[in-house]
Amino acid sequence: MLRMTLAVIRKDMTLTLLRGNGLVQALLLGLLLIFVFSLSQGVGESLSARSAAAVFWLSSAFCQILMFNQLYALEEVNNSRLGLLLSPAPIQAIWLGKAIAGFVLLLSAQCIFLPATVIFLGKSLSGPPGPSLVILLLTDTGMCALGSLLGALAQGQTAREALLGIVFFPLLTPLLLAGTGIGAQAFDGIDPDGSSAWLGLASAFDAIFLAAGLLLFAFLYAGDE
Amino acid sequence: MLELDRVARFYGHNLVFKDVSCTFAGGSMSLLLGNNGAGKSSLLRIMAGLARPSLGTARFTADSPKIGYLAHATFVYPALTALENLAFWRDVHGLDNTETDLLNVLARADIAGRAHDRAGTFSRGMAQRLNLARILLLAPDILLLDEPGAGLDAKSQALLRKEVLHARGRGACVVLVSHDLARDATLADRILLLEEGRLAYDGLPALFPPLADVEQACYA
Amino acid sequence: MPKSSPPPLILLLLGSVSLACCQWLIYFYAPTEAAMGLIHKIFYIHLPLAWGALFSFFLVFLGSVAYLFKRDSGLDRLCVAAAETGLLLSGLALFTGMLWARKSWGVWWTWDPRLTTTFIMWFVYAGYLVLRSLNLSMRRKSLVCAVVGVIAFLDVPLVFISARIWRSIHPAVFGTEGGELEPKMKLTVAVCVISFGFLWAGLVRLRERQLDLRARMDTIACDIP
Repeated sequence: MLRMTLAVIRKDMTLTLLRGNGLVQALLLGLLLIFVFSLSQGVGESLSARSAAAVFWLSSAFCQILMFNQLYALEEVNNSRLGLLLSPAPIQAIWLGKAIAGFVLLLSAQCIFLPATVIFLGKSLSGPPGPSLVILLLTDTGMCALGSLLGALAQGQTAREALLGIVFFPLLTPLLLAGTGIGAQAFDGIDPDGSSAWLGLASAFDAIFLAAGLLLFAFLYAGDE
Repeated sequence: MLELDRVARFYGHNLVFKDVSCTFAGGSMSLLLGNNGAGKSSLLRIMAGLARPSLGTARFTADSPKIGYLAHATFVYPALTALENLAFWRDVHGLDNTETDLLNVLARADIAGRAHDRAGTFSRGMAQRLNLARILLLAPDILLLDEPGAGLDAKSQALLRKEVLHARGRGACVVLVSHDLARDATLADRILLLEEGRLAYDGLPALFPPLADVEQACYA
Repeated sequence: MPKSSPPPLILLLLGSVSLACCQWLIYFYAPTEAAMGLIHKIFYIHLPLAWGALFSFFLVFLGSVAYLFKRDSGLDRLCVAAAETGLLLSGLALFTGMLWARKSWGVWWTWDPRLTTTFIMWFVYAGYLVLRSLNLSMRRKSLVCAVVGVIAFLDVPLVFISARIWRSIHPAVFGTEGGELEPKMKLTVAVCVISFGFLWAGLVRLRERQLDLRARMDTIACDIP
């Protein structure tokens, strides 16, 4: 299983970063969102730390949808999905591989979103870095576990992005709230005394959707019905 | 090696076929015939485990056999080179071939010269040969072919035939879906005909009575 | 198959009659709440609606799990019926909740955890029903929806907890709706919930029956050459 997962990760990374248009589309959309939100600030004003964190996570979520869409579209070109399904390794290896590839891509996208948020929305990273980093990783994990599961949902469907967004966003709400809650703390340095609760929630979300991904992916990712 | 027990397939409420029961042994080559829409491809996918039968069961009698499936779709990633494509499938199937092995396989499939070119620049015939290389690398116990020769030139077709016969020779169970009865019936040692939603004929090619009629029906 | 089957009809009749009787309990038996006045009576409708919605979503979950294992299209239709009923009831629950909030706290909307959860679940199941309208093969659609039906319900507790943590950070208006009720009020609410349960079951059964009949008509139409 591990070998297939690694093969999928390597192939997806090669195809997206080295041979494809990579993250360009997803990055542009995310940056555009941050920029558009920066327009809501009047002269001399700046968005509250909470709003800035929300914008950051919104950009990440949109970027995520495009990315998983792209990752699963790779198999649709010449129907290689069927080839993957014939592998002796469990099908979940594909889910895991795509989730990890998505995780790495999302983290790299966030390396750009974060400075963009700081610059355009006039924030500084003054909060304690520990919890912020932990929540960043936890939230990304949950987003990728769910994203990798839902990415398989639209297999063989043309209007994938819109479809994914409709289902993805509401399901993601708890995680986005957690990310926003702690993100606000990272931006203004005020501890809202809820951080341990948010960390717990994000961990619970990750656990539930990692398990759901493992259990349900095999149903979704199948030959033609 | 492969056993079908009263397999049926519906699309929505439409019956495609039902009550298909047969077993396939190693070292045999079966030719699966039928009109368009008779469900040949569906049956082949059920055999490969890529689709669930609506009723009945399909199971392998051997322990976790390697399954090769070669159809019209080439399974090729256009942005990867031929060698990278092959290396990916090697990892997916958990094989341990070295790069030299991969190059040898590409040579057998007659595309060694383009090993480091991106598959996106290949013609359909070459992409299909790369797909064949994937099968050669896997050396499957069960080889399922769904009109793999469609759109290939004579040379590629000959290569394909040679390798299919070679696979049977080393004991693989081969099932071939084809339209070219006149040519492929000579290769096969068994003919299966899907007609009117059931298995209408299952036996030796020599005893297959309406050879000419069926051929006509195939092209109708 | 009979043209109109008795169970949904009986359930609907039972529900309607008993709900009508409940009106007497609500307006004459239960005492009027001191602070809220007459508007407090909304509570007797609001609570059954919310419970009905939650039951519907739970039914979608059960039906989806069963579908994944049995692949019976009847279970799929049960899920549709339950999801549609749930969407309707949660919509009504939101509406009555807003009326309540307006009178009780002077605003149309508060981010009370229960209301927030209902709101987000409304979105999730609206997305679920949008999936239904997609141009996918019947089997694929049922499969995709079953998977979404499962993960949507897994999300309910997470959404609820997150809404709770989110609000507790701010000075929250915590509506303790079911907190300290008088015995007479309690009895009335219980009777309302039970009566509404009949109506709910009737609605789901009725809708399921409609879908069954439509599927059957499609079958018959296919058989005509």
